[in-house]
Amino acid sequence: MEYGRPTELDEALALLAGGRRTILAGGTDLYPAIAAAALPGDILDIGAIAGLRGIVEGAEAWRIGAGTTWTDLARATLPAAFNALKQAALEIGSVQIQNTATIVGNLCNASPAADGVPALLILDAQLELQSAEKTRHLPLKDFILGVRKTARRSNELVTAIVLPKRAVSGRSDFQKLGARRYLVISIAMVAARIAVEDDRISEAALAIGSCSAVAQRLSSLESDLVGRRIGPALAEHICAAAVATHVAPIADIRGSAEYRTHAAAELLRRAVANAAGTA
Amino acid sequence: MPTVSMTVNGKSVSADVESRTLLVQFLREHLALTGTHVGCDTSQCGACVVHVNGVSAKSCTMLAIQADGADVATIEGLDDNGTLHPMQEAFRDNHGLQCGFCTPGMVMSALDLVKNNPSPSEQDVREWLEGNICRCTGYHNIVKAIQAGAAAMRG
Repeated sequence: MEYGRPTELDEALALLAGGRRTILAGGTDLYPAIAAAALPGDILDIGAIAGLRGIVEGAEAWRIGAGTTWTDLARATLPAAFNALKQAALEIGSVQIQNTATIVGNLCNASPAADGVPALLILDAQLELQSAEKTRHLPLKDFILGVRKTARRSNELVTAIVLPKRAVSGRSDFQKLGARRYLVISIAMVAARIAVEDDRISEAALAIGSCSAVAQRLSSLESDLVGRRIGPALAEHICAAAVATHVAPIADIRGSAEYRTHAAAELLRRAVANAAGTA
Repeated sequence: MPTVSMTVNGKSVSADVESRTLLVQFLREHLALTGTHVGCDTSQCGACVVHVNGVSAKSCTMLAIQADGADVATIEGLDDNGTLHPMQEAFRDNHGLQCGFCTPGMVMSALDLVKNNPSPSEQDVREWLEGNICRCTGYHNIVKAIQAGAAAMRG
């Protein structure tokens, strides 16, 4: 068992090139997952790498570094398209978890109930993956492959989330349903981003989490909403049947499949109303 | 075994520890600072809250080595030569504890809240405490104590 805590990205990538390692950022999921047992093999702790933390606005895209915590995000000044992600930041775990846990870690964990995923899907998020040899970019929807499974290769580190500016438009909203208000695994969660022109929806991006192995964009419902006049009547177009064409939720201790579908539709109606400013 | 060095309550400390050593184990077992409690061991209850580089964190889900080089503050570092910190005093005055198990974590969380929000409303306090669980369910007086402590700290 070796514990690596490099201070430079190059060193980290060299360690990954040398063999399989568990990557640790905030570490808030790693320890509960192993429950007092020994650490799972060699570790790469990226917490001391300079330059991985922070949110930067570039000419073409926003960039969220892999060391950025949920608290960093919640306190940053960002356009209204980020509102859903900020709301998710404040609902993840508790304050102490938000202070420690990273946004990229939430994605790499690939839990179906990861609060960060729907809010990033509606921003067309891409992941930047670096290895010692090369850098590649993958859309978030192609990065998470299944429950706890991602497209990251063992020699790669996710170094940033990249958000193209064309998707950072309009306003977004996040809604989450749990069995209680705080510190709870979501039964269903949704994120909606709506851009409005002349009282009509010019762009709609909708995503649902916790209702399928991997959170999903609702492309047909998005197309259906574009061009519609904003107002209370929008809710009529967002129904459980429309949700069910995209996701087939599981039934578990937290809720039946039918309940999840209905709940997701109601959360979507609320999120769209908030994002469109008609709530 | 890696060597871990950090500042705890203003004092430099250093020790060789197994990589898997949690920050809370390091504090309790290596430094004998047993004021930081372990309630659930899974990041839910908040009895283990300490400050790492000025922000509250759960020391049961953080490895000691992750805090290498950090400035750590625990409940033991709050008093001033035996005079309680105003937040500790407020917990005593308002009977903000029953069994006392959650208290160190509650106080450390409260101080992080006050740093961010010097005049928290009752709702602010209740929302902030989502990560701190009181097994005696004595929240009423804890919330009162935190508001009183915040007022005392404002002076």
